[in-house]
Amino acid sequence: MTTFLAGRAFALTVALAGCAKSVHVTLPADGALPALLWQAPGGPGTRDLFNGPWSPDHAPDPSARYRLIERKHTGVNPGMTVRDPGGREWSVKTAAPETSDMPEGPIEVVVSRVLSGLGYLQPPVYFLRTFQLETTWGVRAEAGGRFRLKDKSLKDRGTWPLGANPFVGTKPHSALLVIFMLLGSSDMKVSNNTLYEHRAATGNDVWYVVRDLGTALGSTARLSPRRGDVAALAANRFIVDVRNGFVVFDYHGWHQELVRGRITPEDVGWACELVAGLSAAEWQDAFRAGGYEPGLASRYIDIIQSRIALGRQVAATGHVPASVRR
Amino acid sequence: MRSNPNRVPGAIAAVFAFLLALVPGIAGAQNAQATDQLPVVKPEPTGVIHEPRFVLRAIDFASRTTGDGTNRKNGPHLVFSSGLTGAGWISGGGGYRHWLGQDHAIFESTAAYSWRSYKVADARFEYLKFAGGRVTAGTEIRWQDLTQVNYFGEGNHSLEADRAEYRLTSTNVLGHASYRPSEWLAVDASIGWLRPTLKGPGGTFDRGFPPVLEVFPHDPAFALARQPDFIHDQIAVTGDTRDFRSHPAHGGVYHVALSAFHDKDTSVFTTHRFDAEAAQFMSLTRRAVLALHAAVVTSGTATGHIVPLYLMPMLGGHHSLRAYSDQRFHDRNTLVISVEQRFALLTHMDAIAFYDAGSVAARARDLNLDLTDYGFALSMHSRGATFARVDMAHGREGWKLSFRMSDPFHLSKLRQPTPNFPALR
Repeated sequence: MTTFLAGRAFALTVALAGCAKSVHVTLPADGALPALLWQAPGGPGTRDLFNGPWSPDHAPDPSARYRLIERKHTGVNPGMTVRDPGGREWSVKTAAPETSDMPEGPIEVVVSRVLSGLGYLQPPVYFLRTFQLETTWGVRAEAGGRFRLKDKSLKDRGTWPLGANPFVGTKPHSALLVIFMLLGSSDMKVSNNTLYEHRAATGNDVWYVVRDLGTALGSTARLSPRRGDVAALAANRFIVDVRNGFVVFDYHGWHQELVRGRITPEDVGWACELVAGLSAAEWQDAFRAGGYEPGLASRYIDIIQSRIALGRQVAATGHVPASVRR
Repeated sequence: MRSNPNRVPGAIAAVFAFLLALVPGIAGAQNAQATDQLPVVKPEPTGVIHEPRFVLRAIDFASRTTGDGTNRKNGPHLVFSSGLTGAGWISGGGGYRHWLGQDHAIFESTAAYSWRSYKVADARFEYLKFAGGRVTAGTEIRWQDLTQVNYFGEGNHSLEADRAEYRLTSTNVLGHASYRPSEWLAVDASIGWLRPTLKGPGGTFDRGFPPVLEVFPHDPAFALARQPDFIHDQIAVTGDTRDFRSHPAHGGVYHVALSAFHDKDTSVFTTHRFDAEAAQFMSLTRRAVLALHAAVVTSGTATGHIVPLYLMPMLGGHHSLRAYSDQRFHDRNTLVISVEQRFALLTHMDAIAFYDAGSVAARARDLNLDLTDYGFALSMHSRGATFARVDMAHGREGWKLSFRMSDPFHLSKLRQPTPNFPALR
């Protein structure tokens, strides 16, 4: 974590390979704690997309017995708060066995790993396929999901909107929106984003974190997006046009105003160069962290790579190939 | 001469013995919890026909908007069923739910309005963590207005032409406690106060049938200017091993209850009731589920006393004899069995064939399976919830088409802490 945060700065100037433009991150004007959304990522070999940005001792023990504290009473997916034998509390997002939906948990871990690998701040999240749950009725094996550690260094300070925050207009912020489009995410509502007060020995700051990431890797829609659906992701075109200098995305979810008339081909290019920095092994690690088998992971990765190529082409030419526009 | 309500004839006992013999789930349920076998979420069985994508999207949408029946979400929520047989083909309303103190307690209120102006309002509070969560206790107040309840007279041979209607409004206040020795088994006790009111039929989409008082002028309940207040009590044992309540593929639900309604004015309507009900679900193949259901209700009074029509058990409609009108048959005792074969046509659409049989009788020993029907149905469902179901059933009174937004064997009333009132099925 220390290494991960080593590049922290209050005003960031970032130069990425192939992108010489400087990027300045705006700070809150009231002199409050410094705000962070993104830090320049290290290159391949400096990041671990299987274990994530937090040290391995932040991961849940798959053989431990977890005591049920309470069920989750918000959101689409069910879940619960559990306590491990060491007294650490975990927010667990499980599958809804009665529905036909893909569970959010594995997807959320994959997308979290990708975002953290690209420099976006993320809390400690992990995927366990199963775990031992202790309730009033005894101990039983429970279908697992996403485990998020309630770490003492991160204090929840509420939510933040993607459309109004200190980072609007910066390349990392625009790139974040492009990455959502790239990964077929339909989840851009305010309640999915958490402000964390991050307490560290080196000083406190405020993290702008996109936390609930599970409606992704599929089709986008307002009412019934198909998450975790490789065929649906393949059917989505990512970018359909460039109009009046702005990229038009194949996005049908809520909050289309966040990307309509706001993202330029240059923004897409910056984002795609950032994402292209992930190696093939890192992509596999990210999907493995979410419990995906290599074969299925490869199908997703192939689709994402073709979308990155499209994004680069749009950035280079300023228009969308006719075969995509159809 | 009235029968003793606690005497269950041999035929009824045989039906339940048959069902209980099919119950590996009761013994197996605890074993499953004690084992270290990791659970495997099986993929949904695909149907014989490839499912169009729009069906999947519709199911996704239904899952997210109508809820999953687990009652886990805090805050306001929509209600899509009044839970009352005869309320009409569609109902809607809203509710508010709040879990308190890390699931130590729950407060919930709901209100619903139906096609025929049936109205239900309910508020409850329950503390869930006595004895480490094995004992719960709560209180509930429920008001309901059933505007067009059918009545055809008593017995299997009541005439369809004698169809009449009445309006039943009631307020029910109760306290209840539950002990759960295991996750699937509950022993419940309740006591409450009930005030019913009888009127002529009303509400919207009135079918124009005459009031009960016109067709049955000597009905003892309608002879009173005001219905008595009742103190009611119940003790019940319910076991539930179903994998899902609203679209089960295996497991079963088993329920026995003894209840009494004590007439606080004259004792004339004081009624004792015995309920037994069981449903068993078995996956025969990956695509086929066999559902068996049986229910018996016996009621009785002291000699010379009367069971008022609104406390009589009833048969007919979506949850019992499906080729007959809602509340088609009334009497002191009822018996119904149903067999359903469900087959996955699409992943999320079942084709269903069913057979129902049963009867009503003044004496429990006269119950038989003379009233029969058969039919076919289509249901739309997710893995564990039924969203819509169309039934076409044929009995001695012809064909009947019905549409519902629930599974006929959901048996949600078995989870209510109060005696079933009125005894709608």
